[in-house]
Amino acid sequence: MHDNPRGGQIAQAVNEARGVLNAAACDFAEIRLFAGISNTITLSGSHIESFSVGESIGGSIRVLRDSAWGFISFNDISQLRKRFSRALDIASAAPSRERHAVANMPAGRASFETIMARNLETVSPAEKLECLQSYNAILRSSQSIATTRATYHDTAGRYAYLNSEGTEYTYDRAYCGISLSAIARDGSRIQPFSDSVSGYGGFEIAMNREDMAERVVRTAVDLLSAESLGGGIYRVVADQKLTGVFIHEAFGHLSEADFVFENPRLREIMVLGKKFGPDNLNVIDCGTLKDCAGYIPFDDEGVLPGETRLISNGCLSGRLHSRETALKMGEEPTGNARAVGVTHQPIVRMTNTYIDNGDRSFDEILDAASDGVYACGVIGGETNLEMFTFTAACGYEIKGGRIGKIYRDIVLSGNVFTTLTRILMIGDDRRMFGGLGGCGKAGQSPLPVSFGGPHILIDGVMIGGNL
Amino acid sequence: MIDLVAEGCAGAARWFDVIETETSHTRVSFKNNTLYSITSREQSGVGIRVNVEGRTGFSYTNDKARAIDAARRAVECAAFGEEEDLELPSSAEGIFNPYDTGIEGFSLSSEIAGIEEAVASIKNRFPSATVDADSSCTTGRTRILNSRGLDASYQSSIYRISISATIVMEDGSRVDVWDGFSTPAPASIQHLPEAVITQLGNALTVRKIPSGAVPVLFTPKAVARLIGILTAPLSASSVWRGISPFTGRIEERIFNPAFTLRDDPVLADSPFSYPFDDEGVTAKTKDLVACGTLQRFITDLRHAARLGISAEGNGGRNYYSLPSPSFSNVVIVEGREPCSSLMAGISRGILVDQFIGLGQSNTLQGDFSANLDLAYLIENGTVIGRVKDCMIAGNLFSLLAGEVVFSAERERRGSVTAPYILFPSVDLIG
Repeated sequence: MHDNPRGGQIAQAVNEARGVLNAAACDFAEIRLFAGISNTITLSGSHIESFSVGESIGGSIRVLRDSAWGFISFNDISQLRKRFSRALDIASAAPSRERHAVANMPAGRASFETIMARNLETVSPAEKLECLQSYNAILRSSQSIATTRATYHDTAGRYAYLNSEGTEYTYDRAYCGISLSAIARDGSRIQPFSDSVSGYGGFEIAMNREDMAERVVRTAVDLLSAESLGGGIYRVVADQKLTGVFIHEAFGHLSEADFVFENPRLREIMVLGKKFGPDNLNVIDCGTLKDCAGYIPFDDEGVLPGETRLISNGCLSGRLHSRETALKMGEEPTGNARAVGVTHQPIVRMTNTYIDNGDRSFDEILDAASDGVYACGVIGGETNLEMFTFTAACGYEIKGGRIGKIYRDIVLSGNVFTTLTRILMIGDDRRMFGGLGGCGKAGQSPLPVSFGGPHILIDGVMIGGNL
Repeated sequence: MIDLVAEGCAGAARWFDVIETETSHTRVSFKNNTLYSITSREQSGVGIRVNVEGRTGFSYTNDKARAIDAARRAVECAAFGEEEDLELPSSAEGIFNPYDTGIEGFSLSSEIAGIEEAVASIKNRFPSATVDADSSCTTGRTRILNSRGLDASYQSSIYRISISATIVMEDGSRVDVWDGFSTPAPASIQHLPEAVITQLGNALTVRKIPSGAVPVLFTPKAVARLIGILTAPLSASSVWRGISPFTGRIEERIFNPAFTLRDDPVLADSPFSYPFDDEGVTAKTKDLVACGTLQRFITDLRHAARLGISAEGNGGRNYYSLPSPSFSNVVIVEGREPCSSLMAGISRGILVDQFIGLGQSNTLQGDFSANLDLAYLIENGTVIGRVKDCMIAGNLFSLLAGEVVFSAERERRGSVTAPYILFPSVDLIG
C-alpha cells in the first residue's frame, strides 16, 4: 500500500459506505471515493510557468431506485449516510418513463496497486524539476525554436469502489507522464510539434525520454520549411500512432453500446456478424494491458475488464458495454463503464483500442502504396459516428514506393461505414500510444486511453487543404 | 481563511493571494427521448499562490479545513517557482453579482415537463428522431483574498439547456442537430424544438457540390467555434512566448475595417460576465480589434508585468491552477445587412453550422481544415438541402483581412456573441 496521507480518511469512509450499502433500499447502488495528491510542473521557454502540488478528495453515490437513476457527487466524504438518502430522494424525483436496470455481477473483493519502479513519493521535487529541465533544454537546442512547453504531471491516490452487490475494490493508483512541445518560428511561419507519454507507474515513466525531446525539436524545425498538402482524395499509409487514432475515431466510438442501443436503426445496422472491413482486419479493446494509459483493474461500475474483440476477420464481433447497455442488448458487461473522476458518472468508454497485426512489412506496404502520402503522428481526431477526422502531425510524399518530401499537418477525413473497407494492407509492426491528453465524450475529458496498431494502407481518404 | 493562509506562510511570503470557489450544480439528462438521470454535484476548493523571496509557488486543496497545509505546501513549491513580482490589486470596484434570483426557481419537475413537451413536438414532426437533452442549474461563489487586503466575492448563476436530435438513415448515415442556450436564470425553451425541427427538415435531403472555391456563410454557432483560432494569439501569453503572429503590430490595420472584436466582461444577461477576474482585478470592456486595427492583447497580472501592459480583468483560473490570460465574453460587432440579404446574394454556396475536427490544424498561423458535420447548400439565396462528406480549408486571418460581410443580427452562443459571417471564397473539398 502506498503511503497515502488521506488513506485513513478513505478507510473510514469505506467502513461507513459498507454499512450504508448493506442497508440500501434500492435496486442497485454504488459508492466511489478517491483521495490523492498531484504534482504539476510546467516549463515554457526559459521560464518555470508553474510548480504546484495539490490534493483532492471526493466521492459520489449512484442509486437505481424504482428503475430511475440518481447521482450525487461531493468533496466532503464524511457524511455518506446523509448523502445516500439525498441520492435516493433525487432518484425518486425522476419518474422514469423507461425502466432502467443493470446486469447483475457476482460480488468481488480485491485490492489493487500500481507497481512503481521509482515510487513517486520518494522522488524529490528537485529531481522532477531537473528531469523536466533536461528535456526542455533539448527542446530549446535549436535556434529556430521560438518557445517550448514541457509539462510533468503525476497523481497518486487511493480509489475505493463499493456496491450493493457486496463488491469492494480498492486501488492504490499512481499515474505519471510528460508532455513535450516545441514551437519553431521563421518570420511569419510558426510551427508547433509535440509528443506525450503517460501511464500507470512511477517516475520511471518520465525518465529517459531524451529521444522523444530530440524527435520533437527536430520535427518542429523540419516542418518549418515543409509545404502544405493540397486538398483532395489520396491513398494513405498511416503510421502506427495515426492508425491508433484512426481506429479509435473510425470504429471505437461506434462500438460504444450506449450510442447503439439508443437508436433502433443503428441497432439494426450494427448487428454482430456484419462485414465491416477486409478479412484480415481485427480490432480489439483491452482494459487489462498494464503498460498502457487505458489500463483499469476494474471499471467504474465494479466490473473486471477483459479483451473485447470488436471486429474479428473483418466482421463485427463485439461491442463495449456498461452494465445497463449489456442488459438492454442481452450481452455480457465488458468492463467499459468509465468516468473521468469519482465525481462523474460512468459512461461507456474505450480503454486500450487497437488494430491487431497483419502480416505485411512496412516496405511491402510502401511498395503497394506506390504514389500517395505517408501520414505520421497525431494531433487529434473527432467523430460524429458517421464521418470522422484524424489529424496527422506531419506527412511525407510517397512516390514509386519511396518516401519523399515532408508535408505539414494533415487533416484526414472518412466515413465510418466505408473507410474500413478501404484498408488495403495491414502491417506486422503494432505499437501502442498514450499520453497526458485523452479522450472526450459527454463533457468528460480527458479520460486516459491508449490506441495503436501496425502501419496500414488505406485507399480513397479525403484530405482537407487548399485547392 | 486569510488568517489560516497567513499562518501557513509563517511570515515567509512577500505576497500571496487566495481563490476560493464553491459551486452547486443540478442537472436533468434525457437520453433516447426519455429521462435518464438526475445529477447533483457540490464542489469547492481553495488555491493559494505565494511569493517567497521573489519566487512564486502554488498549491490547492478541496478541503477548506486543510488550507493551512496547502499554504505550507505553496511556500515549499516557491523554492522551485518562477521569479516574478506582481502588483496585486488592493480593492475591486463596481462589484456586481452575475446572479439572477430567478435561478432559485429551477425546478426538476418543470424542467422534466418542459423537455418532455419539446421531445413530443420533435417526435411528432419526425417520429424516427431520437432526442437527447440536458438542462442544468449551477450557482456559485468566487472569493479572492490577498496580502494587500483585498477580500472580494461575488455570486453567480447559470442555467443551461440543450436539445439535440438524431435521425439515422438505413445506410447508417445520420443527421445530428442541436440547439440550446445559457442564461443567468431559467428561460422559456419553447423556441428550441422549432429550431431543431427546422434544422432537421433542411438536412434530410443531401445535395452534392463539387470541389472548388465557394461563398461560405457561417452561423453564429459556427463562428463561436471558429473564432477560437483568432482569440488564442490575441492572448498576452502567446505574445510573451513569441508565437503570436500579431506581436509588435498594435495599431496596425490587420483585418477588414468592418471587423471589431471585443472582450466584454459586463455584457448584460450573460452568465459569463464577472465584476473582477480570478486575481481580483476589476474587469473592463475592451476592444482587441477595432475597425480592423489591432488594439491590445488580453492579459493576467503575470503577463502584464512581463510585457509592461496593464491588466484589465482577464486572469482566469480554477482553484486548482495558476491564472492565465482568458477571455470573458467575446463579442464580434455586427454589420448592417440582415442575414436574409447576405443569403440572397449567394447564387451557389454553403451555410456552415457544425464542424468535425476543427482546430486540429496549425491554428497558430490561422489555418483551419475541418469536415462539415452540419452544412447546407444555398442556391439562389435559398437553403435547398444538406452538403456532407466534404471539408473546408482556409486561413482565418487572411479571410478576416479580405472581403468579409457581418450580418446585422447577432446571437450569443456560450461566451461568444457573433453575427453571421460571409466569406466570398473558401476552398471546399468534396
